[in-house]
Amino acid sequence: MSAIRREIPSAILSLIGIALLLAFFTTLGFFQELHGILTSWVPIISGCSVGLGFLYMTYAQWMNYQRNKNLNNLIYLIVPLVFFAIFFGTALFSPGNTNSEAYQWLYYHIYKNVGGTVYAVMFFTLASSAIRTMRLFTRDPTGGFRFRLEAAALMFGGLIYTMRQIPLFQVYIPGIVELGEWIMLVPNVGGGRAAVIAAALGAITVGIRTLWGKERATAEVE
Amino acid sequence: MATARERLAKARRFYQIIWALCLIGMFIPLVYPLGLPVKVSEPVKDYYEAIANLPEGSVIAVSFGASAALLDEQEAQFLATWKTIFQYGHKVIFYCSTQDAPIIIQNELAEVNPEKYGYVYGEDYVILPYSPLGEAGQAAFAKSIRSIYSADIEGTPLDNIPLMKDIDSYKGIDLLIYEYTSCTDVEWVIRQWVVPYKTKVLIMTLGCCGPMAAPYYPTQIQGFLSGSGAGTELEVVSGNPGPGAAMSDAKNLGMLPFFIAIIWTNIKPFLGRED
Amino acid sequence: MAADLIGGFIGTLFVISVMSMLWRDNLFFRFGQAAIMGATIAHYIFMNFQSVYKNGIIPLMAGNVMFVIPILLGLLMYTRLSKDIAWLAKYPTSVLVGVGTGVMITGTLRGQIIDQVKQTVLDAFTGINGIIILVGVVTALSFFLFTKEHTGALGTCVKIGRVFLMISLGANFSGELIWYLTQMIGRLMYILNEFVWPLLGA
Repeated sequence: MSAIRREIPSAILSLIGIALLLAFFTTLGFFQELHGILTSWVPIISGCSVGLGFLYMTYAQWMNYQRNKNLNNLIYLIVPLVFFAIFFGTALFSPGNTNSEAYQWLYYHIYKNVGGTVYAVMFFTLASSAIRTMRLFTRDPTGGFRFRLEAAALMFGGLIYTMRQIPLFQVYIPGIVELGEWIMLVPNVGGGRAAVIAAALGAITVGIRTLWGKERATAEVE
Repeated sequence: MATARERLAKARRFYQIIWALCLIGMFIPLVYPLGLPVKVSEPVKDYYEAIANLPEGSVIAVSFGASAALLDEQEAQFLATWKTIFQYGHKVIFYCSTQDAPIIIQNELAEVNPEKYGYVYGEDYVILPYSPLGEAGQAAFAKSIRSIYSADIEGTPLDNIPLMKDIDSYKGIDLLIYEYTSCTDVEWVIRQWVVPYKTKVLIMTLGCCGPMAAPYYPTQIQGFLSGSGAGTELEVVSGNPGPGAAMSDAKNLGMLPFFIAIIWTNIKPFLGRED
Repeated sequence: MAADLIGGFIGTLFVISVMSMLWRDNLFFRFGQAAIMGATIAHYIFMNFQSVYKNGIIPLMAGNVMFVIPILLGLLMYTRLSKDIAWLAKYPTSVLVGVGTGVMITGTLRGQIIDQVKQTVLDAFTGINGIIILVGVVTALSFFLFTKEHTGALGTCVKIGRVFLMISLGANFSGELIWYLTQMIGRLMYILNEFVWPLLGA
């Protein structure tokens, strides 16, 4: 019984991964076909399972409310369900589904608008944290000043590249566009490429461990 | 000596003043435009030339991964891109990789109006519906379009669409324009289009993802647009005005209080002011 | 016309509700936050189910029986909700992880390691910028060596590498700040164009 719960799924994972590797490194028709079939299945499997998120969210909010029956938790329980019903019902029952006038109205004034505002608000919090982080000097216990090299590098990359994107600075600070581009295409590429290579090495290691069956977390379901 | 609570309250007030000034700074140019010119960068010039230098009638696949919440950042980019493509008479296969993409593409294309450029749907351009592609889906699409899509966004079978008759994989695609909003997605296009098939690729993404795409430029990706500013630059270089200009204008004064605050917090210790 | 103005008014209220978070955490903000949660999930679920219907069920009904397998696997994911049969969800998860890992490894080796190293070496011969990139890549890579203590020559290397990584981080941060700024400008434009100007009859 344990084989059907652990070993067989693990074997399926490994066999599929190895088949796809063989599809890339060989020209054998069988593996090419398998690659085409398996990769086309993934969007359908992911699409089917998206309802899980809604069920988990509702369950979590319900349990939250049961633990602590206050107005905050009640809002988080009821309001998402109400808006879910409004949006899903309108999409399902309107002629034209999501292209209907009613859904387009909801989409434009609520969905797009509020979603955009969530990101807009982050400008202020990010700006505050940048003001706190970009300090070149700190006081040491003797009362003198200590230069922070990393903050200076962050400031150099961040501020110059920010100024490069603002027309006011482009016009009144000569060379800022060229300097900003240089930062993006030279030191940023130096650091960025190292991050890409390091992340890629890590990803391959985790990938091989996963195919080998050593990464239990990927297939465990409690 | 102020208590920690008092200092925290004072700091919060300072930030709230900066926020208010930034908000006022953003608002003023929306009412009284400044109209400052925009300079075009090398990646944007290369992006434009990659489209302009294609032979007329080339087929461009656009992987459209737009998000409604991020439309302010992306709109200038893709509108300028589409207008440039239509200007040069290339054929386009749009395919939607995010949940918001179908609605956005149908609304925005209606504004651009391809028919104005002499385009006929089905012959010169086609829109494929949403599928949660992910990296595996991109691999499947590149290998065989019909393994993912059997019909277009209206439900017309692909075999009945003239543009799609002879195109079923990367072989029929001369250029891929990959539009995405999650910074690591650039790796998908490198792994599934560039490495196996050496497809020419252009990237359209958010401002924070541009620096992460830079290591792949110009060898693996031929050009990229990073943020709405790049969209404005494309509007300028292609001669197609759009929503980017108003956005650029409002940025001018919106960032000034932020810069002043940074300068102030750096000179404050030297003036003997409490940190 | 009236519907547009009402829409603009409601939209403006929602914008203000989310922005009220900057003043302090309050019920008005939580309402806006909860509303967008519900709306987003509804939209995502509808679009995904519609995609499965168009790209899975319709071809299945047209005779392509292979599509039974991914649809069944997708439905098996819901067995996670019951402790007794949750183990069945390992099958679709295994397929997803196996495919994801397989397609990832093949492209990563060539596209993100070999080609990147090759380009770094080639760039070094193009001039001073190429040499700076090479120094940046080597020193920043040394930062990720966690199995050796960062002292001596390696320590100096790591210090230089951190400077390059911080410059990269600064560029990313700058892009993010401008992005959020653009979003805020977009919201102001919405309030002006959808509520204020129509209300003033402009």
